[in-house]
Amino acid sequence: MRISGSMIATALVAATAGALLSFSVTRTAGQGLPGTRTSDGKPNFSGVWQALNEAHWDLQAHEARAAMVTQQGVYDYEYARVPAAPVLALGAAAGVPGSIGVVQGDGQIPYTPEAARIKQQNAEHWIDRDPELKCYLPGIPRAMYMPYPFAITHGTNKIHMTYAFSNAGRVIHVDTVEPPPDDTYMGHSVGRWEGDTLVVNVSGFNGKNWFDRAGNFHSEALRLVERFTPISADAIRYEVTIEDPNVFTRAWTIAMPLYRRLEPNATVMDYPCIEFAEEFMYGHLRKNQLVKRWEGETLIVDITRKVPPGDKLHEWYRR
Amino acid sequence: MKQRVLESLATAAVLLTVVALLRMSASGQTPESPAAAPGPAPTTPWGHPDLQGIWLDEFDTPFERPAEYADQEFFADEDRTARDDARTSDPGRNRRSQTGTRNDVAGAYNAVFTSAKPTGRRTSLVVDPPDGRIPPLTRDAQERQRIEREFRLALLQNTDTCKNKQLTCAGGQYGPPSRRRNEVPPFYNIGRMNRHDGPEDQSLGDRCMLGVTPDFNGFRRIVQSPGQIAIGIDTGQGQGYQRVVYLGGVHPPAHARLRHGDSRGRWEGGTLVVETTNFSPKFPFRGAAENLTIVERFTRLDADTLEYAVTITDPTVWTKPWTVKQELTRQRDDQNRIYYEPRCHEGNYGLPALLIGARVDEKAFAEGRGPDPASQDTASCVLDEQ
Repeated sequence: MRISGSMIATALVAATAGALLSFSVTRTAGQGLPGTRTSDGKPNFSGVWQALNEAHWDLQAHEARAAMVTQQGVYDYEYARVPAAPVLALGAAAGVPGSIGVVQGDGQIPYTPEAARIKQQNAEHWIDRDPELKCYLPGIPRAMYMPYPFAITHGTNKIHMTYAFSNAGRVIHVDTVEPPPDDTYMGHSVGRWEGDTLVVNVSGFNGKNWFDRAGNFHSEALRLVERFTPISADAIRYEVTIEDPNVFTRAWTIAMPLYRRLEPNATVMDYPCIEFAEEFMYGHLRKNQLVKRWEGETLIVDITRKVPPGDKLHEWYRR
Repeated sequence: MKQRVLESLATAAVLLTVVALLRMSASGQTPESPAAAPGPAPTTPWGHPDLQGIWLDEFDTPFERPAEYADQEFFADEDRTARDDARTSDPGRNRRSQTGTRNDVAGAYNAVFTSAKPTGRRTSLVVDPPDGRIPPLTRDAQERQRIEREFRLALLQNTDTCKNKQLTCAGGQYGPPSRRRNEVPPFYNIGRMNRHDGPEDQSLGDRCMLGVTPDFNGFRRIVQSPGQIAIGIDTGQGQGYQRVVYLGGVHPPAHARLRHGDSRGRWEGGTLVVETTNFSPKFPFRGAAENLTIVERFTRLDADTLEYAVTITDPTVWTKPWTVKQELTRQRDDQNRIYYEPRCHEGNYGLPALLIGARVDEKAFAEGRGPDPASQDTASCVLDEQ
């Protein structure tokens, strides 16, 4: 059977009409109700949302493992590693869930050979290097799939995203703005509509963020194209095409659903982690240490955090 | 040499906070065509008053009303001119001390760092009580303040600040190092103290946790949808925060606390009324936290003006509620400025430098190479004396 252009067009029109119908059926139009369209007919993304996957551990497919940080056990097999000291006290709560991954296509991240080595080192020095552990602004796209809710406030010419983690925020400009005056952690987001899809170009990064806890990283040359497409009134297909010629040999794409938090009183309870990270970052500079080796019957957990090389302040202190 | 570098770093970090508090944001943008009368207040396509945009109080207004304007809500034009002239002729903080001293470095913040906004119409931001003054503190709150002050003075008592009877030591006296230097502060600390045993001894500003709700000085970006409103606040010096106001739902259970409280809003005619509770004890507003309730009213008066009024109630701190009102001016929206990226913590070398400096001083003292840290004032500076 030959498929003609007009048949495709008809199918597309039907599909679009179906999508529109399903929207109006799911929710009646009205102020404040989630899932309705905005007054200019675009999908209304307002509400509290959250990704439900393991991408924040590792964008790529991975099996479950015993702990966030592991060390060699009895065997030298990779799959037989045991929890390492920093999280040993947490038992089975310290593990990492498995995932089928969110990287599209062959599931590979196309690092240059040099960048692949850096990624490997990042993974090995996760505690020392991951900006999340210091409560730094998480950057985009990482903020979108961290295990915390975020609010989307869909205004008339701006879309504001308020993240629980670190009280981070970003504005998507769906209107004209001047380019950013400086690089940023959260990027400079400019949006436009392609049918029912909100397409957001994000640039202006400072290159200090990671994609996940596995050490996947990028440089300040990162450029993203995000696509937000409604799947239903309560789910968005979130797709990001990632380009960074300093780190990757080609563009690659991740995709996942974002889900509406459907509980009646859904609220973004902030996660004010600057103070949570102070002991981790500055505990060694206290006059009287709070975290000590435990004694007697109590488990002794030595937590080490290596100071990054080149950090002059710490160099001074050590002398 | 090393010690001096560290000390000056620490001093610089402390100063940054001071400057943050003193500095006015007059470097911000101004509306393009002040000559043209502003248009009417717009509404959103869904019929609510449109509060969206970037908003700033462009004027300098005393928080509480000066005594000479006791029952006068607004300045006369000549009063405003006189106040502006007086400020312009003030050389500012360009005070020099003996070259190479800490005081000299600390005093070298001149008008460039402390640019001022023009005097506004109002004689005070506090509009109720009608005398423009914050109501008296409750007896409990006064007692709390006294206990806090006593502790801070104890940490200063062996320093030259007290020996020379400087203002910072008012109420205290000079004496040997206080045993209270080893005490836990009587209340969760948010201010600066003359001790740097750990992060908790530093001010919220030094820890990059500045900015409390309600805020009166920062840039506010409002993005609005039918069911929820986002407010991004930039309080300057790389600090700020995001709020979400839900037009529905209920406050979380009382024991679930949020740094900026939980905000629920509703429309009353043309005014957005927002009630915020569930404040965290770690981020008090003028001493009020767990028992604080604020009710904010946002009213778009015209295209360029947003009236902001907030009534502050905490019967454990103030003897009655009080209200602040200010008019905010719309800022250019087509220019992208990083009003929404407070990234103080990410570059906070000041806090570890303060702590390292204190450890270095202690080590030097223990080895007979330096003065007793208890005798050094590393918390206040000459700015406090002006």
